Amino acid sequence: MNFNFINLQPYSNPQYFIYLLIALIPMIIGLYNGKRFKTYEAIFSLVFIFLIFDGDHWQQGINIILYLIYEFVITFAYLKYRTKKKSPNKTWVFYLAVILAILPLTAVKILTAMPVGTVPFVVGFLGLSYITFKNVQVIMETRDGAIKEIEPGTYARFLLFFPTISSGPIDRYRRFKKDFDKAPSREDYITDMQYAVRYLFQGFLYKFIIGWFFGTYCLPKIAKAALLVGNSVGGLKLSWWVLAYMYCYSMYLFFDFAGYSLFAVSISYFMGIHTPMNFNKPFISKNIKDFWNRWHMTLSFWFRDYIYMRFTFFAMKKKLFKSRIRLSQVSYFLLFLIMGFWHGLTWYYIVYGIFHATAICINDAWLRFKRKHKKQIPRNKFTEWFAIFLTFNVVCFSFLIFSGFLSQLWFGWK
Amino acid sequence: MNNKRRLWQIFGPVICAVILLIVVFLIPWERTFSNKAIYEAANSQNTTVFKGVKMKQEAFKRNYVPFYGSSELSRFDPLHPSILAEKYHRNYRPFLLGGAGSQSLAQFVGMQGTSKQLRDKKAVVIISPQWFTKQGQNPQAFDLYYSPLQTAMFLLKANAKSKADRYAAQRIAAMPTVKNGIIKSCLKKVARGQKLSDWDRFLLEQRQRMLVNEDNFFSTFQLRNRVNKICQKAKLLPNTYSKSALRKVADEQAAMHTNSNNLGIDNTFYRTRLPKKVLKKLKGSQKHFDYVKSPEYADFQLLLTQFAKQHTNVLFIIPPINAKWAKYTGLSQKMYQESVAKIENQLTNQGFENIADLSKDGGKKYFMEDTIHLGWNGWLAVDDAVKPFMATPNRRCNYDLSNYYFSKKWQNKKNVKPLNLSNKEALKDK
Repeated sequence: MNFNFINLQPYSNPQYFIYLLIALIPMIIGLYNGKRFKTYEAIFSLVFIFLIFDGDHWQQGINIILYLIYEFVITFAYLKYRTKKKSPNKTWVFYLAVILAILPLTAVKILTAMPVGTVPFVVGFLGLSYITFKNVQVIMETRDGAIKEIEPGTYARFLLFFPTISSGPIDRYRRFKKDFDKAPSREDYITDMQYAVRYLFQGFLYKFIIGWFFGTYCLPKIAKAALLVGNSVGGLKLSWWVLAYMYCYSMYLFFDFAGYSLFAVSISYFMGIHTPMNFNKPFISKNIKDFWNRWHMTLSFWFRDYIYMRFTFFAMKKKLFKSRIRLSQVSYFLLFLIMGFWHGLTWYYIVYGIFHATAICINDAWLRFKRKHKKQIPRNKFTEWFAIFLTFNVVCFSFLIFSGFLSQLWFGWK
Repeated sequence: MNNKRRLWQIFGPVICAVILLIVVFLIPWERTFSNKAIYEAANSQNTTVFKGVKMKQEAFKRNYVPFYGSSELSRFDPLHPSILAEKYHRNYRPFLLGGAGSQSLAQFVGMQGTSKQLRDKKAVVIISPQWFTKQGQNPQAFDLYYSPLQTAMFLLKANAKSKADRYAAQRIAAMPTVKNGIIKSCLKKVARGQKLSDWDRFLLEQRQRMLVNEDNFFSTFQLRNRVNKICQKAKLLPNTYSKSALRKVADEQAAMHTNSNNLGIDNTFYRTRLPKKVLKKLKGSQKHFDYVKSPEYADFQLLLTQFAKQHTNVLFIIPPINAKWAKYTGLSQKMYQESVAKIENQLTNQGFENIADLSKDGGKKYFMEDTIHLGWNGWLAVDDAVKPFMATPNRRCNYDLSNYYFSKKWQNKKNVKPLNLSNKEALKDK
């Protein structure tokens, strides 16, 4: 038999939106009339998820099913442990649950870093990281007692929430459940749709026009020129083209990812779910800390809440560091190193993490210095613009590292 | 009421946008191009032009002749065919089609839009034995040149009973660039020998309409403007055409541009593409290259089929390899000649007799611009064939094709006897 599988990767081309919006119509009519058709929503999600993982991607489909069973067992076992009467709430049990929960992600990161051809099976699946983030967050909040019960159905929908399955934004279980359990009022839903349409079209502009221009139209040409000139000058192989690559790649990265995130938020709004925004004009940040409050926000907030804060509390309780400054510095390095490793086990992702940790520590030092010398340091329109300019360039440089282009330039591989 | 109004405010613009989109894409638009735009396009070797249709159609209606080839077309020294045609006000202008990696299959797809315009006319093909690798058409390069528009055109004309069309459909469908969708499913149908249904044809026509408009709107974007370059280089040529004077220019220019190395390679190419490390790696690296067994021979047959359908009069040019370079990389000249013999047999046995075989000239002085690309005196040798070819009047050419050349047997055949091309009568007897 010769099957012609239809395989649809989320938001990959304009036609996709036509299928998606047609499938959304019954849901929209329902929500407009104050009803949430949960069964239809489940079928809709499953069909579109199936379309991601069918055909050539079937091994990923198997992986996601196995993964979900595994994570469900861990989460509900831990929930049971935490909610039984007089739960001992041992720290080691909590650690064990978290380690087990991130085990598949860790394994995939290591396996994908192995030389091509040494791993005989397909590892991971589209969206593994993001589902893991959601899952770890639930385990942590269960530990805190903030989550006392989890409905398996809602939980599955939360983990597999179709619009955000491939790359976020990362929602929180309690927030999701609140939206999911009710249907919005008609007025509110119309407002939701207003935003949904706006975000959708903003997303088109970002991803398919501006992102395309920088990423598909300009970037290959710049890369080619940079490699050609680089190879002829030798040494560090630097040229103005590398600088052009840096800015072009940064623009591409932002518009492509922000466009994608806008699609995810837009489709969520059509479904009456207020998935949080991921970007808030990151390039007008005044400093690096400000930048991380504006760039890939759901990820950075996740890292802040579940790694930075947790570690800080832990270290304070154990009195690991005498000085608070040293403590925050160590926490930053921990956070950004983990983020670097999460991006992939390659030198440039790890350097990217170290670079940002260093930048944020320098920024902190500068803020402390500024506070002490308030009177001597001028503050006016120019200094504000200069701060934005400087931050922008530091960030773009970090993206140049992140892009892996330097690796290609220097070592010939990415 | 209020809610209804809000809904209109939200979705009204969306509905307008959708209507506008349908109108823009599905209405048949017409447009013309200025002479200047076409001249730029003809010399740009731009993939948008290659993949498009409208520009080429317009050009071939005028005095442009397609020069199908690959990366050698971008060697714009003063003796380049485009510059010679411009300088000496020839009755034709080359329209350069192809670039690095555009092999027979990509060229075949790229020819689908202009069969009407090339009927009973002329074309030049620079056919490099380097295309005839074990793999044939490089899939990554195909990605660059793949034209969905012309594939749709091919499908709408395809005959499921024809061996050539079935083979072409199967080859194109096997390329990873061709993603699932109406085009791929129709390709698979044709490859299996099934007729397309009316519904398939309807969908294909809509898709084609959209792609035609896309081509109309966007084909003038991103043109690489080489007009200034042509004018500047043309200044280096003697004002009246003279073979010996041109030869002198070629020698002078080549001497000046290859003085950094003793391989006879253009200085810039040598500096940027062959830094020491790369050069070292390449030494002896091509000993095992084999151009004799290749699926490319069958893909090449597609090209011939297309020319035969159009009754186009074709001049084939077979370029050599820089002999010093071949020696350095270990590429076997014997193998090279074997593949040339195979190509020439395939051509002459089916009635394609205009062949300029330059394949043994790789050792001549300043014949090559760099490693495998024609330059200076090589271009002059090309002109020696092109000039008289263009002087003959257009006529309808008939060819005698054989499906044998699609077979695996031919693709893998070795030891094909070399031909003596100078003896035209002997060729006919075969």
